[in-house]
Amino acid sequence: MVEKEMAVQLKRLYVTPGKCIGCRTCELSCTFVHSTEVGRLRRSRVKVHDTGNETFIPVLCLQCEVAACVRACPVGALVRNETTGAIDVDEERCVRCLSCVVACPFGNMLHDEQAAMVVKCDVCGGNPACAMFCPTKALVYR
Amino acid sequence: MGLISFSINGTAVSGAEGETVLTVARRAGIHIPTLCHHEAVEPSGACRLCMVEITHKDWKGWKGLVTACLYPIEHGLEVSTDNEAVRECRRNVLDLLLARCPNAPAIRDLAAEYGLKQTTLTVDEDPTNCILCGLCTRVCAEMGHHAISTVGRGVSKKIGLPLDEPAESCVGCAVCARICPTDAITFREDGKTRRIWGQNFELLRCSECGASHITRAQAEFICEREGMTIEDFEKCDACRSRETALAFSRMVQW
Repeated sequence: MVEKEMAVQLKRLYVTPGKCIGCRTCELSCTFVHSTEVGRLRRSRVKVHDTGNETFIPVLCLQCEVAACVRACPVGALVRNETTGAIDVDEERCVRCLSCVVACPFGNMLHDEQAAMVVKCDVCGGNPACAMFCPTKALVYR
Repeated sequence: MGLISFSINGTAVSGAEGETVLTVARRAGIHIPTLCHHEAVEPSGACRLCMVEITHKDWKGWKGLVTACLYPIEHGLEVSTDNEAVRECRRNVLDLLLARCPNAPAIRDLAAEYGLKQTTLTVDEDPTNCILCGLCTRVCAEMGHHAISTVGRGVSKKIGLPLDEPAESCVGCAVCARICPTDAITFREDGKTRRIWGQNFELLRCSECGASHITRAQAEFICEREGMTIEDFEKCDACRSRETALAFSRMVQW
């Protein structure tokens, strides 16, 4: 019963590829909000691909119900955030074996070598910057 | 059951039964330095850096220094994480570590925080960056490899391979090197192979762009554990992300 109510309340990041103009503002804002130090930018967790014919598709974590990354993690460092519904990386627990990076079938788990950590979309804790700054509403959080 | 209430530096905190002082302190945002602690493995109290002073109103004034990472919390405990006795204790630990690892940046930085520019003891003739905390061996075991362990006893104790021979169970994942708090374990890569613990491991390269993340041996280990096939790892994350976009573009009509 409680689970059902939770599922109704949880928001999701919706992608409407037809609206994407390939400006990559989402990538910029993602990098910006996840960087903690000046001059040390973190990798963007969203990637805009040009698939030809001027169609652009932003690809980001699907927060799979049964996730390959969670299954592959040998130390349980990938956990579902109950408030946002996203799968978060427990940075204190991660041992950087990169099992999740190779296990994700969609290529949405990244190794940020500069930050020495694996990174993935965490929907910015419930207020995703990519959706906030997307000028054409190709990315919407609702 | 129920919460256990106690205090850290005079601030009231609480935690569940069985939790350690370190766990509760971290959750409360109180800094306690550690080297050998990692959330992925059980605490072992090897580095002795997380020493804190404890007392209790029923202990008739008795005070003691304990490792925060191992000490279970109890009702009414009074913990001090940064008083002079604690700092003195940590300074002594760092003095010893500095004598052993005079060149390790992590140790030097910590020692400087405690007012030690150099060790007051005799520097080890054969300096190393390894503090013998065994975090690498614990994580290696947790990963299911059990490839490295502490070898020898006393002054000749070191982290190494059984009988100093290349370990069959090592998959070259390099987690030991990445997790080492003092960067004592190193590996070399040339884009095709990774050399670690005296063995060369073939890197699994993306069939499209040639980028690599893991070794073939590690991929095979994951395959066996997860029931996957080596073909599942044919492409790197970047190329797979592109494939995802192309697959969506074929699926979606607009």
